[in-house]
Amino acid sequence: MTPAKVHRLGYVLFALFTLTAPWVLPLFVDGFWVDIYSEMLIWSLLAASVNLLFGYVGLLSFGQALFFGMGMYGVAIGVAKIGLGFWPAFGFGIFLATGMALVAGIFAVRLTWHYFAIITVVFSLIFYFTALSWKPLTGGDDGLSFSMPPMFTFGEDNEISLTDPTVQYYFIVTCVGLCYALMALVLRSPLGRALVTVKENDMRASLIGLNVYLIRLTAFVCAGFLAGVAGSLFAFFGRYASASYMFYHVSGEAVVWAIIGGVGTLLGPVVGATLLITLREELSHAWEHYLILVGVIVILVVVFAPKGLGGLWLALVNRLFGGTKAPPARAEDAPRATPKAGPGEEKP
Amino acid sequence: MELVIALGMNGIVWGLIIALIALGLSIIFGLLDIINIAHGDFFMVGTVLAWFVLETTGNYWLAFFIVPVIGFAMGALIEYTVIQPIKNAAALSIVATFGLSIILQESVRGTFGAAPTRLVPPIETTVPLFGLEYEVYRLFAALVSIAAIVVFFGFLHRTKMGTWMRAVRFDPETATAMGIPARRVYIVTFAIGFAMAALGGVVAAPITTVDFQAGVDILPFCFMAVIIGGLGNLEGTVAAAVMLAFFEGIMASFFDPTIARIGSLCLMSIVLLIRPHGIFAGATR
Repeated sequence: MTPAKVHRLGYVLFALFTLTAPWVLPLFVDGFWVDIYSEMLIWSLLAASVNLLFGYVGLLSFGQALFFGMGMYGVAIGVAKIGLGFWPAFGFGIFLATGMALVAGIFAVRLTWHYFAIITVVFSLIFYFTALSWKPLTGGDDGLSFSMPPMFTFGEDNEISLTDPTVQYYFIVTCVGLCYALMALVLRSPLGRALVTVKENDMRASLIGLNVYLIRLTAFVCAGFLAGVAGSLFAFFGRYASASYMFYHVSGEAVVWAIIGGVGTLLGPVVGATLLITLREELSHAWEHYLILVGVIVILVVVFAPKGLGGLWLALVNRLFGGTKAPPARAEDAPRATPKAGPGEEKP
Repeated sequence: MELVIALGMNGIVWGLIIALIALGLSIIFGLLDIINIAHGDFFMVGTVLAWFVLETTGNYWLAFFIVPVIGFAMGALIEYTVIQPIKNAAALSIVATFGLSIILQESVRGTFGAAPTRLVPPIETTVPLFGLEYEVYRLFAALVSIAAIVVFFGFLHRTKMGTWMRAVRFDPETATAMGIPARRVYIVTFAIGFAMAALGGVVAAPITTVDFQAGVDILPFCFMAVIIGGLGNLEGTVAAAVMLAFFEGIMASFFDPTIARIGSLCLMSIVLLIRPHGIFAGATR
């Protein structure tokens, strides 16, 4: 088998698992893991938005929670305050997040590297504090809960709504899957190549006639869209929106998921989010201060596998199946770290 | 009017404490190229250690001497175990220090507890100042901060280690070639950064609350001071910290504190966009 085939097999297995999870997961573990798995998929979209910016254009954003929060509040305010139906509210949330990303991006992408990281934090903090103090609209610290509007209604009392767990699961899977497909499509297009060019060397990119500013802005808006979809889905998932999800700690967590999973790989964020949320769910019952362990794992990954688990996986596949290109980042680390990476790569 | 003076004064005092903490952040950033997300938690560890010293010895003044020393040791240890291995991947410093921040917060929550605690200031008297009764401890806190900042600048410009630090920051390769032990300089720099944040914690603990989340609130403010003052411009950091806190104090006397915070954040984004190299760029060099 060639490495490409192994990767394709991995994708197929992952897709199969995701599609059959509502039946497969309860065979092995408690039924609530289906719910947690859909939550992981939602969060992985937020990590994917960090990945799109950091892994493909080289901009480290510490403010993606802003667009997540915009999507979340778009849905919650749309349903609870404006009285929108399901689809208009969903659209409103995504529209709000993407529009916000456009406005913020016009200013933010003028800066790069440290300055970019800091201005994205500042923007998200401004709106965090605004959401916190604008109680009549956002509910402030208490948050804003709403009751789920139906997706479709047939006749008098037949309706399809997310209150049915199976519908909710497949709705989330469909949306997340579409987002990843869209991202893969964009990354393969000429625009995707341009993104990587800008990341590798923005001076050369501008010399061969690429509009660096516009490319960065496009990526920023796309990332805002991904985060917005994640936020809207999360609002539907929890029937709830709260300012606390806009705080910069949420953005930080997304950055950690993306980097643990491996930036610059399409599904790395899913692996990172899945692994760390599984750790959270499993360890939080066993040990109250499990976060210490999470911190240790984060540091270990950064020190020993700077390309993340996705990078380890690529190195492993290349080594086992005779890949000739792209040797492992640190040859001596790959075999030693493999047992640790194993459970993360298989979907739990 | 009295409220404006009181909050403005509080702002200046708070700004001096922030300046002390932000200086630590600034040298770590300037010398090691590490964006230290855990710096706010170094401050928080300082407040908790101060509380601990007060609980065990009953004497708050001891904390002013013991806590910076503990901070220095912890900083050296962290540099050696966490920062040194990622030196060749500075982009990942944000993630590594994020992990560090989680560890510090969770350790404090496990040992100290989750509930915020207030400390009684060691000096409880007040003096009449500008027509109001002002707490002596706050004046004392400002004095300690100024003294520490002056000592730090003296150290940086008058001692061998300080000269080494400036040399390594200017050009690490030439400095190493000239025989300066760069690794030791990195360790000392990080340790001093931690010690300054911890001292800031001791000074601030009786004014604010001792809380495992205190670092999360203070971190953006320190970064603002570093950025507005200009990355690597240490004098600018001090000036920006005092100005920002004063501005926020004055704003807070007219508006809700959250609105004041939003105001200073907006001010900061404007500065970042118009003068990304700080408001003092060009003034010093």
